[in-house]
Amino acid sequence: MGSAVEVENLSKTYVTYKRKGLFRREPTTVTAVDDVSLTIEAGEICGVLGPNGAGKSTTIKMLCGALIPTSGTVRVLGYEPFRERRRYVREIGAVFGQKSQLVWDIPPVDSFLMNKAIYGVPDVQYRETLDELVSLLDVADKIEVPTRVLSLGERMKCEFIMAMLHRPQVVFLDEPTIGLDTIAKAGIREFVRGMQQRGTTFLLTTHDLEDVERLAEHVVIIGGGTKVFDGSLQDLKRSLGETKIVELTLAHPASDADLEGLSVVGRRSDLELTIEVDMALMGPAELFATLSRSLEITDISIRELPMERVITEIYTSSRR
Amino acid sequence: MDAVAVRRYLAAYRVCLRIAVRQATTYRASFLLSSVITLVGNLAFPLVTVLIYGSGAGFPGWTADEVLLIQSVFTLSAGLSGLVLGGVVFVTMDRVREGTLEIVLLKPVRPLPFIVLTTLQPESAGVALGGAVLLGWAASRSVHAVSVTGVLSFVGLFLAGLCVMAGMSLVMAATSFRWVGNSRLPEIADSTRTFGRYPLAIFPRAVQSVVTFVVPVGMVGFFPASALLGRSVPGMWPAAATCVAFLGFGVWLYHHQIRHYQGVGG
Repeated sequence: MGSAVEVENLSKTYVTYKRKGLFRREPTTVTAVDDVSLTIEAGEICGVLGPNGAGKSTTIKMLCGALIPTSGTVRVLGYEPFRERRRYVREIGAVFGQKSQLVWDIPPVDSFLMNKAIYGVPDVQYRETLDELVSLLDVADKIEVPTRVLSLGERMKCEFIMAMLHRPQVVFLDEPTIGLDTIAKAGIREFVRGMQQRGTTFLLTTHDLEDVERLAEHVVIIGGGTKVFDGSLQDLKRSLGETKIVELTLAHPASDADLEGLSVVGRRSDLELTIEVDMALMGPAELFATLSRSLEITDISIRELPMERVITEIYTSSRR
Repeated sequence: MDAVAVRRYLAAYRVCLRIAVRQATTYRASFLLSSVITLVGNLAFPLVTVLIYGSGAGFPGWTADEVLLIQSVFTLSAGLSGLVLGGVVFVTMDRVREGTLEIVLLKPVRPLPFIVLTTLQPESAGVALGGAVLLGWAASRSVHAVSVTGVLSFVGLFLAGLCVMAGMSLVMAATSFRWVGNSRLPEIADSTRTFGRYPLAIFPRAVQSVVTFVVPVGMVGFFPASALLGRSVPGMWPAAATCVAFLGFGVWLYHHQIRHYQGVGG
C-alpha cells in the first residue's frame, strides 16, 4: 500500500497580542507548528504524542483542511486539504475528544441522518454502515435516546459512528479517549483496531500512552511545534538503549554500602526498591550475581521503561 | 453548484428543518415562552405608534395606519430573517470563541449554508406570522387602491429588505472572527435597524442617505410599505441594488473571515 498522508515542512504561525498597559497591545508571532514532515502509510495507525501546546491539534486541524498552513505541503489521499476542502473531507472522518458533532438535545440517530443527507450517503449504504457500526460499538439501544442523557463513553462511540458513516478512508482522532473509563477506552480501542484491519488509516493524537501502546505501530512525537521522533513503537522504546526497570523486594533493609554502584530511582519502603539497569552493560546473569552479593532478595521483577518516561527523555533531550 | 449538490443541500435542508423543530420542541415551555417574548418584543413598537397617534401626536404626512404598515412590514421581515439567519450570529460567535468551527469545516458543504441550515430558529415563526397578520390588517386600512405594479414593487423591495437583514447578520457574524466575543454588536445592529421602522422623512437628510445607500435599513420596512401605498420615494430602486450588494458583501466577508480562522489552543 502507498502513503495515505504526506506532510513536508509544515509550519503554522499566527499572531497573538500581549497586553501592554490599559489600551496598548503588542503583536507577537507564535509558531505553533515548525517544519514538521511525516508520512503515514495507508492502513496504518499513527500515534502523535506530545505535551500540551506541542502543536498536535494544530497539525491535525491542518491535515483536516480546517486550518491553512503558513508554509509547507500536505497531501492526504492525493488531496491538498485546504485547497480542495469540500471534495477532500468526503474521504476523511474526524473525532475530536473535546468537540462534539452530535446535536445535544436530539438522539444521535437524528444527527446521523443529518450527516447522511450532507454526505449524500445512499439509503442502502447508510443502513448497512449504521447497522455494522452500531453492532461493533454495541450502542443499539443508545442511538434513539437524546444525546444529553448518554454517558461520555456512549457519546464518544456515537461520535465515531457520526465520523464513519460515510466510510472514510482516513480518520483523524484528536484525543478520542480523553475522560473515558477503562472499559470505554478498551471498547474504543477495539473498534479502532477492527476498522484498521478493514483498511482504514488512523492518525491519533493522545495524552494516553496506553492508546499508543495498544494501537499505534508508528509513533511521532512533537514538542514545541517540531517533530522530535518519528519511528516505530519498538524504535521508540529502543531509543534510550537497553535500560530496564528492576523492582526488588528485600528480606532486610539495605544499607547505603549495599546499594553502592546501583542506580536507585525509587524507594517505596525500606524493603521495596526500584533500580534502573542498562542491560547493554550488565546482562541478566551478571545483574542477579551483583544483587545477590549484597542483598537478600525475596522478589524481583524486570520491566520496560514506562512510555511516559521514554517520551519525557526524548522530549527533554530535544529541548537541550 | 451542480444538480447533485443542489439535491444534497435540499435533502440536508429538510433534515435540518426537522431537527430544528425537534430541538425547539424538546424544551416546550422554553420554546413557547421564547416565541411569546419574541413576538411581544416585536409587536411592542406598533403599539407605541398607536399610543403616539392616540395622544394626538404623529409623524407629519403619515397616518397611524400607514406607519403601522411600515412597522408590520418590518416585523414580517424581522421574523423571516430571524427564522433563517437568527442563529448564525450567535452560533458563529460561539464556535469561533470555543474553537469548534472545525466541526463545520469537516462537512463537505459550504460553511455558511451549513451554519444557516443548522441554526434555524422556529421561535421566530411567530414573529413572522404576527407581522403577516398585522400587515394584512394595516394594509386593509391604509392601502386604498391595490395595483399590480404596487404589489410587484412591494415584493421586490421586501426581498431587498431581507437582503439587508441577512447582510447585517453576516457582517456581524464575520466580525466575530476578528473581534472575538463581541456580544454587544447585535444590539448596535438592532438599534441601526430601528431606522427602518419609521417614515424616513422624519430623519435629517444625512441620516436618510446613510440608511438608504450605506447601511440600507430603510429597505426593511419603509421602502416596501411606501411601494404598497403607491408613494414613490426618490432613490428607491438604486437603494434596492445597494441592498443586494450589501448581502453580497456580507457573504464575501463571512467566507473571507473563515479563511483566517485560527481555532483555539488544543
